[in-house]
Amino acid sequence: MACRTLPWGVVGTAGGAGLLLAALTRITGETGERLSLHLLRAAVLAFAAGLVFLLDDPARHTTATVPTPRPVRIALRVALVVPATAAWWTAALLLVPTELRPPVADITLEAGAAFALAVAGAAVAVRFTEVTRPGPRVAAGLLTSAVLVMVCWPGRWALFVPVGDERWAAAHDRWAVVLAGAVLVGALGAVEPLRRWAWPVVRGR
Amino acid sequence: MTTVVERPVVSDVRPGSSAAAVAALALFETRRLLTRLPVIIAFLVYLGWTVWRGGTDWDGYPALQDVDRATQGAPMLVGLAVLLSVNLAALRSRRHGTEHHFSVLVLPPWRRTVAHALSVVAAALLTAVCVAAQFGREALRPGAIGHGSVAELLVGPLTVLLSGLVGLLMAGLVRSALAGPLTVVFFLFLTLFGTGTSDGWSRWLMPVVVEPTANTLPSDLLGRPAAWHALYLAGLALCAGLLAVLAAGGRKPVVMAGVAGAVAMTLVGGVAQAGGDSPALVRARERATVNPGQVQTCVPRDGSTYCVFPEWGPRVADWAGVVDRVRSLAGGSAHEQKVVVRQRIEARYGLSGDGALTPLERPHEVTVGTRWGGNRVPEFSAAVAGVLVAGNEKASTSICDGRMVTVMWLAVGWESDPVAALRRVRLDDSATGSALVLQPTNGMYMTDAQTEVLRELLDRPRGEVTARVRSHWAELTEPKVTAARAAALLGVKAPEGDDKCLD
Repeated sequence: MACRTLPWGVVGTAGGAGLLLAALTRITGETGERLSLHLLRAAVLAFAAGLVFLLDDPARHTTATVPTPRPVRIALRVALVVPATAAWWTAALLLVPTELRPPVADITLEAGAAFALAVAGAAVAVRFTEVTRPGPRVAAGLLTSAVLVMVCWPGRWALFVPVGDERWAAAHDRWAVVLAGAVLVGALGAVEPLRRWAWPVVRGR
Repeated sequence: MTTVVERPVVSDVRPGSSAAAVAALALFETRRLLTRLPVIIAFLVYLGWTVWRGGTDWDGYPALQDVDRATQGAPMLVGLAVLLSVNLAALRSRRHGTEHHFSVLVLPPWRRTVAHALSVVAAALLTAVCVAAQFGREALRPGAIGHGSVAELLVGPLTVLLSGLVGLLMAGLVRSALAGPLTVVFFLFLTLFGTGTSDGWSRWLMPVVVEPTANTLPSDLLGRPAAWHALYLAGLALCAGLLAVLAAGGRKPVVMAGVAGAVAMTLVGGVAQAGGDSPALVRARERATVNPGQVQTCVPRDGSTYCVFPEWGPRVADWAGVVDRVRSLAGGSAHEQKVVVRQRIEARYGLSGDGALTPLERPHEVTVGTRWGGNRVPEFSAAVAGVLVAGNEKASTSICDGRMVTVMWLAVGWESDPVAALRRVRLDDSATGSALVLQPTNGMYMTDAQTEVLRELLDRPRGEVTARVRSHWAELTEPKVTAARAAALLGVKAPEGDDKCLD
């Protein structure tokens, strides 16, 4: 049943847009080498923007009373979307020509961290607010933080480094930290609050 | 006791007052748009970046034809935030299931879209104020020269307008909350990595067109179709806005006519901006590069002559100050030597490529570039010193003996912090060892030994060294003098380092 409540349309559209971006590497010609990493990152961001809608549940206030606890409900949604994500990511990687493909393990780590951040953001939004559809706001937050990290993240802790840069290995250690942090925050955010306290959210705002 | 006066609720909404209702809704949406978190963050980052970076590019001597282009990049960030927020705002009633409540109001959907579009216009106007403040701050600096272009300044606000209206159009076409974020991802990719990747006419299709070089040219030689590009952007933005109104059901003849007009504007601007350099511009660039004398005005000052492009007239006083200080340290006839300072540029490639300037061969003629402030001051000073010692620029750039000590003493000796000036004028920013010395044309080479002697001189009182330089001027400026001989003449200890220059 959980399978039918998942926002497959949104995730599918985001995935399609992401694959379109990844496929652009095939037509960019000689600049492709420089662009393929950026295109893959844009594709990851597009798919992550779809994943933030994963925990949108218009019937949230009625499902709160079912005996299945919230961590299980969220885990079920995540478990259902993981195979789809893995398949999408494989397709995106295969769309990039072999000679232009960035190191697969490292770029997969970046993608995993981005997806984990997206779902963790949605889980935290569900945990701390009463809104039924946190998706649009979390998407806005995800994009804002992505742009902020690109524009004004200090170079000492660089995350978005080009292939072949000497900071590549160190940057991916940091990506691993981001992934671990996102999983931890997501797990903590999935727990049902014992007491009902929330920031007041006025409908229509 | 409280008296409750009950009055019937009188609706003052009449069919004719829907313009007022649109204005009221636009005001409300503007307030909401400008207080959305992404928009606030974008404006804060934009303002912070602009204030922090302000003026560091030009060291207090900006050329306004460069400043106007520097205002274009940062508003793209605001544009992305406005795109996302307008998109979410336009879909708000649908997301909260209040669409049906609106159908009982006086405002049909297309008028609500107009109100959203007006809120985007307000965001663009706010950006225009920021751009004007940024430009005004540079233009009011005492060292500012040149002319800014209104069309270049309009690009920033028009980018915000275009992004916001595209967000609105996306909300009208795809009624999903995902449309906005996905559009932002595409725009983000385009703005961060799409600018400057292509060459030729197609790069002008992007909102912001960056140039590959940081050359400063006279404003009439830039050859950027800025006005056509602004028209193209305005047409695109109008197209997006009017199509959004059409998509919301505003099928009035005036909207249709507006769409046709906007498409025409876009096409006219798009075609005209792709024209490339006109033959007249190519000729003007050639003339300014090869025969600058034909377009320059020559200003006599303290016996020397300064030939400059008309826009650089106010800089003559700064250059004359440097020439005076260098001459004041020199001895012999060089102390009163009149020089000709000629401003030169390599404009044949426009802003698409740099070209090196060849040294002048006429006696006592010095080249000066178009930029000033920062490292450009000791570089010009080194060129003047070289000409005073060697006689002409070509000879000074091939000096390969101990005269280099005198040249560099004249070049940096007058500065308040000569060692810092020495670092800035040397290619590798070092103050010891051998290095290439930069100047407006070819560089000069300093050996290890010459640097040692110069550093000894800089550690001594300026008056004492100046007196020694003047009394031994003839020997010091004799070709083939060695660094050791110069050290002996100037009364400092003999250098131990290598004294062989590059061949």
